[in-house]
Amino acid sequence: MSYEKHPSDEQLILDLDGELSARQSRRLRAHLESCWTCRTRRQELENSIAELIRARRDEELPSADGPQALLKARLDQLPAPPPRIPIWALAGAATALIALAILAIRVLPSRRPVVHQAAIFSIPDSRLTPGAAVLLNRRSVCSAENTKNKTVPVALQRQVFANYGIPGAEPREYEVDYLITPALGGADDIHNLWPQSHSATVWNAEVKDALEDRLRQMVCEGQLDLSEAQREIAVNWVAAYKKYFHTDAPLPQHRQ
Amino acid sequence: MSIERTAPAILPVSTAGPSRDTRLEAEVVDLFDQFRDRLLRYLLAFGLAIPDAEEIIQEVFLSLFRHLQRGKSRANLRAWLFRVAHNQALKRRQRNRRDPESLAADGIAVDPTPNPEDQALSTQTHRRLLAVVRALPEQDRRCLALRTEGLRYREIAGVLDMSLGAVSISIARSLARLTRATER
Ligand SMILES: [Zn+2]
Repeated sequence: MSYEKHPSDEQLILDLDGELSARQSRRLRAHLESCWTCRTRRQELENSIAELIRARRDEELPSADGPQALLKARLDQLPAPPPRIPIWALAGAATALIALAILAIRVLPSRRPVVHQAAIFSIPDSRLTPGAAVLLNRRSVCSAENTKNKTVPVALQRQVFANYGIPGAEPREYEVDYLITPALGGADDIHNLWPQSHSATVWNAEVKDALEDRLRQMVCEGQLDLSEAQREIAVNWVAAYKKYFHTDAPLPQHRQ
Repeated sequence: MSIERTAPAILPVSTAGPSRDTRLEAEVVDLFDQFRDRLLRYLLAFGLAIPDAEEIIQEVFLSLFRHLQRGKSRANLRAWLFRVAHNQALKRRQRNRRDPESLAADGIAVDPTPNPEDQALSTQTHRRLLAVVRALPEQDRRCLALRTEGLRYREIAGVLDMSLGAVSISIARSLARLTRATER
């Protein structure tokens, strides 16, 4: 037996997912066998979806590498699951908690406001900001101007804040800085950018500037390989500063 | 001057602590690899900006980890991921509406017109299809986006809290428009 009239698009769609009842499905198939109009219509529906899927796949998405590294870092930092506690211990703990709660109510005049704690990144997270360089040879680096304070595009800045889990960060709290400075061939790349917090008092941007000048000078005078300079600054710029200035703390003239 | 793009100068330094639930972590990262692009495309179709969408995805997978850690059901994690992402996106949009600064940022992504280079890459049909999709009512766009990311109609109904019948009507309506657009 077949349909009196053509099935609706909705019925055709549900049938594709096997959502029609066995009886409905049998009737629909019987109709399709005898009706080329509906067969064509069903084919068109399938084609539209397939074509749309292809169109979507063509749209370029930002790389998943950074976000994946961030997820791993966050998973590492999650607290361990609470151990299973026997019920008798829970009862004791509950009593203690109630006592504590009463104490807390007496002691604390009011709930303390939640303070937004700005994270301080003195050294970037190596998983998010491993460093990336564009210029390979010493000559091109040293013949270019010593670019200072090159500003990072706003869109990239937002992405850096998001990757570091501080999406709403205020520009006055952080400066998005190059890990490997462009003056040493550092790239305009998300892997070479990190939020340097202005609240960092000791190992701050000025101290890093001094190290960059020193390394660039050494590279251009042939005392240090460019790739080595890039590597040292990317691995741990604070350690590099200590090494090249032979000191454990920033020199007075480099502090501001 | 030719600029050569090199691999990052340095490999990330491992700073991970002692292994803890490493198998579960690996499983979650594996699911992230499978679903990140799909979730991102869905959230962009939702009208969110990329940083917001990426952040939601992080939250989704951290929730997934806790969900699995507590021994909760592993049945249909695909639908679970999209449902959590969808709910987070709704919350995010409400928050952005209250906060005028991010509203402006949100507006940028509402119409994700491909840039000129992308346009050159995609065929004319694809461009026309995506233009039709952008013009669809919001709920129809979401149904269709979930379908193109591989969800079954029943799963879409669960994610968007609609009846199966309503999903099929929405999809039929959108497909009719898409079909007309490709025929022309
Ligand atoms: Zn028919």
